[in-house]
Amino acid sequence: MKDVPFRELSARKIYTDYMNRVKQATAVLATDDQLDLLMEFNSHIYEAMQQKPVEAGEADALVTVLEKLGNPEQVLKPLVAERKLKEATRTFNPKHVYQALLLNLKNGIIYGVFGILYLLLACFSLLIITKIIAPSKTGLFYRNDQFDSFGFIADTSGTQEILGYWFIPVVAITVVTLYLLITFLFRTTNRR
Amino acid sequence: MGEKIFFTIHIALLCILLYICLMNSDFVNNWASQVKKGTLSFIVLNILRKKEVYGYELIEEIKKFTAIEIAEGTLYPLMNRLKKENLVASKWVEQETGIPRKYYSLTKKGVSTLAEMQAYWTNLEKVIYKLQK
Repeated sequence: MKDVPFRELSARKIYTDYMNRVKQATAVLATDDQLDLLMEFNSHIYEAMQQKPVEAGEADALVTVLEKLGNPEQVLKPLVAERKLKEATRTFNPKHVYQALLLNLKNGIIYGVFGILYLLLACFSLLIITKIIAPSKTGLFYRNDQFDSFGFIADTSGTQEILGYWFIPVVAITVVTLYLLITFLFRTTNRR
Repeated sequence: MGEKIFFTIHIALLCILLYICLMNSDFVNNWASQVKKGTLSFIVLNILRKKEVYGYELIEEIKKFTAIEIAEGTLYPLMNRLKKENLVASKWVEQETGIPRKYYSLTKKGVSTLAEMQAYWTNLEKVIYKLQK
């Protein structure tokens, strides 16, 4: 991206500082999205500076332009939250989903509900670890040939665990399937 | 004594009047700000109906046709939302200066949505006109 040229050193410094704030405010986004926003703000600054009279000091003119454009952290907040959401539901990447949920929590109860669903899913996946630590107390338990419980139980007397270490792939496949399902729902909700 | 009481009442009345005026102007300001917020996307779509424009040009056009003073940066989240709703499309166009411009245009969906908004607006205008008669 080509920087906006300035003759005055102070103007160049103000410009660089502002663009760094834009970079910081968009750091959570994918490189393409970040560059797109940087270019948009860069173009705005350039075009606005072209309208300023030549005799006006560059630094003063730039400060006016930037004041009108607004505080990047504040102005870009809803934009970054929306773009992150799009990115997250497109890639199914858990890191992006987590960041998007965090950025959008204030934007409606639905994001809170999805947050809880993902949290429950994370708790469910912990069963894989408990199966390794306490194999006899974690699994699919039957009592008198009837289903008794699934997961971690403290008192296993009278029950029979039937999956053994197959419990781990069963939980893993369930977690992945549920994750894809929840994220698909998240995506559908977001498109509305 | 009587004069003092009269003076105090006078001042108190003036204060109440000032308070009512301020409250009233607060109410009008809030209302105006809500109207601005609510109509900004309608204004933007109307500008795009005539021609493709780039971000800064769009702000200038808004200023030219309306008395709306917007925090210029807030236009970009709005454009992002309109793009997400598939009402507008955008493309980067290289410039001789080396600093490209992002041009926005109306999509097919944008055109039909704008027509719906226009119909609603015309109807609202008629209703308000009737009420004022």
